[in-house]
Amino acid sequence: MWTTVLVSGISLGSFYTLIALGFALIFGVTRNFNLAHGELLVLAGYVAYWLWKVCALPFVFTFPVAILVLLLVCLGLQRLFARLSEPLELNSIVLSFGVAIVIQNSMLFLFSGNYRLIRIPSLNQGIRFHGFYMSYGQLTLLILSLIIIFLLYIIMYRTYLGKALRATIQDKEAAALAGINVAVMGTLAFCLGAVLIGLAGPLYGCIHYLYPSTGREVTLLAITITIFAGVGRLSGIILAGWILGLAESFTVIFCGASWREMVAAVLLLTLLTFRPHGILGDKL
Amino acid sequence: MINSSLIKNSRYGLSKRLKLDKVVLLMALFFLLLLPVLVWHNDYILQVFTHALLLATLALAWNILGVSGSISLGHAAFFGAGAYASALLSLDAGLSVWLTIPLAGFITTGLGFIMGLICMRLRGAYFALATLAFIEIPRVVTDNWDGLTHGSLGLVGLPGFPSLHLGSWHIDFYSSITASYYLILIYSLVLLGLVGFIFRSNLGLALQAIREEEVAAEAVGIRANSFRLLSMLLSAFFTGISGACYAHLVRYINPGLVYGLHFSAIPMIFAICGGRFTVIGPALAALIIYPLDQFIFHPLIPAGHEFLYGAVLIFAVLFMPAGFWGRMQRNTEVGLFTKSSSSGI
Repeated sequence: MWTTVLVSGISLGSFYTLIALGFALIFGVTRNFNLAHGELLVLAGYVAYWLWKVCALPFVFTFPVAILVLLLVCLGLQRLFARLSEPLELNSIVLSFGVAIVIQNSMLFLFSGNYRLIRIPSLNQGIRFHGFYMSYGQLTLLILSLIIIFLLYIIMYRTYLGKALRATIQDKEAAALAGINVAVMGTLAFCLGAVLIGLAGPLYGCIHYLYPSTGREVTLLAITITIFAGVGRLSGIILAGWILGLAESFTVIFCGASWREMVAAVLLLTLLTFRPHGILGDKL
Repeated sequence: MINSSLIKNSRYGLSKRLKLDKVVLLMALFFLLLLPVLVWHNDYILQVFTHALLLATLALAWNILGVSGSISLGHAAFFGAGAYASALLSLDAGLSVWLTIPLAGFITTGLGFIMGLICMRLRGAYFALATLAFIEIPRVVTDNWDGLTHGSLGLVGLPGFPSLHLGSWHIDFYSSITASYYLILIYSLVLLGLVGFIFRSNLGLALQAIREEEVAAEAVGIRANSFRLLSMLLSAFFTGISGACYAHLVRYINPGLVYGLHFSAIPMIFAICGGRFTVIGPALAALIIYPLDQFIFHPLIPAGHEFLYGAVLIFAVLFMPAGFWGRMQRNTEVGLFTKSSSSGI
């Protein structure tokens, strides 16, 4: 049983990392808290569901379309955020809260409030080995998340573009002085974020029911992981994702599934009270 | 840089603003008092305005904390706790509704104290995020503590407001919505007067000073954290009372409904659209936006009509950060968020 919990926690945690990466990237580069993150992710999930169910497209082909839709939406969103005045962090919270309400209600209008799930039967079978059990769904989730995280790592740490992005995360003014176009970096961060959300959304639709108001949970996860890792620290995010995933898995086993929703909130409040700069972070 | 001139300025600003306030207040008051006659006791219209008034009280209560520069996204925690406290006390303990509503206020104040202890060290964006996360705790506890709260299915058949006997007068809240309407109207007027009083009192001046420049406010001897905690307790108390009124007005609650993000969003949206640093702006916004939603957008787009709230919030943040009422007064140069609230943690 222990290994099962561990495996599901790590698999879930890797996926949570994937969810949080877009949020953390946008926040790190532009200092905008995007509270509509969860709603965007659910929107991507709905797009995938619609293509898969109504157009009968194979599930794999839903990713490009979801990414494309998200790119358009996120670029529009970036225009809105660009108009904000200081203090960016607080103003962006209020603005994106409004955006979240608009997206939520648009989804309610377009897709109705019914619960949807992208049901792929083969994902429910699994590997069984001496009491150890892992479903193909968990395996796929784990592998896909790790691949995407690895690709992002390559972009961030092995390319010139990534260097510029990291410089902007560390110090906007200094980056601008060094000749980096900070505004372009902001747009790029939104684009990368859109791609990440577009990848995570359809996957989310496979493991979780889609309904318009479920985005709030996702947003809370993303906020918790980002603050856990310390602002602008991509390296800590995977650790944070795993800890949250494991914490949720153990809560489900020991306290019951209905307490799961509280884990992220309690973790976030504890963090903000005792280590507001993140577990790995130091005072900036 | 803070000195008595700031305090004086805001006092001066208040007195200048009073004239316009009074005219609009009188007009609105007249309209609200005569409304049941004007609409021939049309139940639907009265019901919408009863709710609008209740939401106005939420916005007013939110603004007691809002005036200190803090943005709370967690008032649904207070609203839900107030609704549940009053509902359970009246349903299971059999207490009179007139007693359970103030009790609910005090219970919610206790919750506000817990939230205050956790969140008061945080500023600006991090305060907002912490309050947003805080809602989950009472919601999940209410969801799971079946023995006390009857679980996630909610409570049905709550008692409404009991009839009142004042001498020969007999006010029956069951048969006519008009009586409930006037009850909520009286409550919102009392709260409006209280908020006006608080804003002008030393507490209000201290909160405004904290908003403008917290370090400077502390330097002149304002204990910022105590004042902010006090404003949160007051805000929680009245939000709890509004929640309790909601429970007895609608007579059906469940955790997803009363702890929903809706009741966190609504007071913030009304306060920011109406003008966070004004007394009556939030209430006016509630009385305009909610009926607009119910009478025009709801019939047009039954699913998804609430996008209106998001749209007006986006519009207000980008183009009218002082709110429409704050903009009309234009006597103080105050943006939506001042520098001090950006100082982070």
